[in-house]
Amino acid sequence: MLALLKSWRVRIALFLSVVGPGFITASVDNDAGGIATYSVAGAQFGYSLLWTMIPITIALVIIQEMASRMGAVTGKGLSDLIREEFGLRATFLLMLALVITNFGNVVSEFAGVASSFELFGISKYIVVPLAAFVVWGIVVHGTYSTVEKVFLSASGFYVAYIVSGVLAHPDWKAAALSTLTRPESLGFRNYGYLSMVIGLAGTTIAPWMQFYLQASIVEKGVTARQYNTSRLDVVVGCLFAAIVAWFIVVACAATLHTSGQYNIETGAQAAQALRPLAGEYAYLLFAAGLFNASLFAASILPISTAYAVCEGLGLESGLDKRFEEAPAFYWLYTALIVFGAGVVLVPNFPLFHVMVLSQVANGVLLPFVLIFVLLLINDRELMGAYTNSRWYNITSWITVGVMIVLTIAMVIAQARG
Amino acid sequence: MSLVALSELLGATVRDASGTVRGRVRELAVAPQDHPTRIAYLIVRTADGERMLPPDALRSAGASVRAATDVAQWERFSPSDGLLLLKRDLLDQQIIDIHGRKVVRVNDVELESTPVNSHLLLNVVSVDVGARGAIRRLSKGVVPSFTLRALLERIPPRVIPWQFVDLLETDPARRVKLKIAYKGLAQLHPADIADIVEDLPPAEREAVFETIDEEVAAETLEELDPDVKVSIVESLDKDRAADIVEEMDPDAAADLLGDLPEEQSARILEEMQPEERQEVTQLLEFGEHTAAGRMTTEFISVSEISVVDDAIEALKGFEGSREALATIYLTGPGLKLVGAVPLVKIAISSPAIQLSELSEPYLACAPDTPEDEVAALFDKYNLITLAVVDEHGRIAGIITADDVISMLRHRD
Repeated sequence: MLALLKSWRVRIALFLSVVGPGFITASVDNDAGGIATYSVAGAQFGYSLLWTMIPITIALVIIQEMASRMGAVTGKGLSDLIREEFGLRATFLLMLALVITNFGNVVSEFAGVASSFELFGISKYIVVPLAAFVVWGIVVHGTYSTVEKVFLSASGFYVAYIVSGVLAHPDWKAAALSTLTRPESLGFRNYGYLSMVIGLAGTTIAPWMQFYLQASIVEKGVTARQYNTSRLDVVVGCLFAAIVAWFIVVACAATLHTSGQYNIETGAQAAQALRPLAGEYAYLLFAAGLFNASLFAASILPISTAYAVCEGLGLESGLDKRFEEAPAFYWLYTALIVFGAGVVLVPNFPLFHVMVLSQVANGVLLPFVLIFVLLLINDRELMGAYTNSRWYNITSWITVGVMIVLTIAMVIAQARG
Repeated sequence: MSLVALSELLGATVRDASGTVRGRVRELAVAPQDHPTRIAYLIVRTADGERMLPPDALRSAGASVRAATDVAQWERFSPSDGLLLLKRDLLDQQIIDIHGRKVVRVNDVELESTPVNSHLLLNVVSVDVGARGAIRRLSKGVVPSFTLRALLERIPPRVIPWQFVDLLETDPARRVKLKIAYKGLAQLHPADIADIVEDLPPAEREAVFETIDEEVAAETLEELDPDVKVSIVESLDKDRAADIVEEMDPDAAADLLGDLPEEQSARILEEMQPEERQEVTQLLEFGEHTAAGRMTTEFISVSEISVVDDAIEALKGFEGSREALATIYLTGPGLKLVGAVPLVKIAISSPAIQLSELSEPYLACAPDTPEDEVAALFDKYNLITLAVVDEHGRIAGIITADDVISMLRHRD
């Protein structure tokens, strides 16, 4: 009995020792932009888009799993591997695109922070600088393990969305049915419906995740032998993120869509519209969740960008270095936060155009990143026995192919306005 | 004599003796068994497969390459793993900068081309790790070459001379053929080696620890982060691990083995010399966070009736860490601890003085004293060493100030 208890304790300890990177990455995926997209999907199309959740989750798991496997086996970040295998020029262009798209993401996170607090009547001129300062401080003054604990708690806070989904009293049966049944083909003839499907897929799988996940697996020191437990972390994280996303769609579908409020554009508007329909608590949780998600992603994006860029380009990086030792690293990190937050505060700034530009950069970047990931993971010299199996490869090439087509479609749609 | 960058040579057109373009440069090969820096040959991609072009058949080498021989004389290239290929093995890869004591990424490689009797000698002189090499490569073919040259001259170079470069190669067989031995790295201070090792991916870490001297490896291991330490020892084979652990301070060795999975530490213990094994096993039995778990069993104790000269003899024969030398402990009947003499007093006293006359008041604690209390004692009494005594009053080991510092630093 004692031995059994001990073996369970060991197993749980083993899981806890690798849990983190996958869970955090998947959670950050539900950032300000993600919450907005899920809210709009629920408000406009009710339960009818819930079927996308399962395929999107599968794609997310497949793509994330490869990044974390590469991190565990090679002990190197994705930008390092791209640099070593594909040279300086490819890396440079990729990093340039990464900075542009991540800058747009940072802006949208700070916009999320601003709008969530404006719901409570607090000015963005107070909240955004404060948030920027907190973000800067957490990362600069924390060690990897303390920062990870903060981040894991932030991931836990996503439960707020599940609760607010329950408070919205959805039609559970209808929601479950449309999650599990095939979509009606009629819907696809509708341009808005189709672009929403693309939007959902695009917001879920983003290039920064690959860099961040692989880098944190490396930083955590996960090795090939611990990899099985690490894979569990990725799968559990993706499932949790998908469940949260599902509840956001359901909450908006059950309230906004049912009462005919189709025209929302942001997470904050969704929270506002929820208030009279689902009650004070649902509203508060939704708004607090938005703040948490935005701040969380705003903490991760700048630092992960700085790491990826500096490592890829061979510049000194790391928080254990002093400013003079790693100037490029600290400048890039600080600039992303200062300008990302600053832009939100400039009156009449064309925020929308920044977002579109960043989405386009995102769309251009993603196919390359995914293709590089697939090429690298099948490189026997690099991965040894850990390359993709044949069936896994077929599945992942199909997934990547579909993602690329969807992303290109999204870029075209966005460019046409 | 002039400098030419690897990135300029790669892709350069190659003309043969007749002046006809025959192909492009694909790679540059060094054969370290023959010469550590000399380019053995250029690998040229021609319409008729890959050919080797040795520098002594070259007239000029730069943005375009001119050979002195005819294409028919260029030998066919066949791959061999004893070659250092500059593009594949060096460009964009990580290396260890011995002088700067860090891991850096190679942006370009600088070669020196020396004309000798109407042909060339090409030697690797340095690697470029700065902006100049990066900009040269990024703008190659985009910016006109004369503008580029003018631009590059204004950028201060950041190059590492070749003799201060340690290459990283994980394949042991190839490492031997390439004569990679981490010679420069092994000469650094173990704390610096530890910093470098923490920046390396696991496979490279393992390669370093397989190669460097056991004593250096042991000291480096003591400086590493506990997680990194464990993963390195786990990756080594048990003989090598045992050799390194034997060289460690017994307390550090015990800490390390305590962190390893049980079967693994047992296997390493099995391979160790009986004497070291016994010391470490004893330490392992105490809780890690007690005085006994933190102490080392390598210290100097002499009988209280000895004289200064005897103490100096004991010092000469001592193999433990330097920190443990700070105090010489005196034992009385039944090997009980009766006194302590600071090293300074030994140094300034005449050889015939009896040690008991030099003895100072000393402090000791029980083996099961919690480490917090140990730290408090060090703080309160400004200790350099602290004796740990068993229930019979016999000295079991000592704790040194550096142990306390690392204990305080690593506490989460």
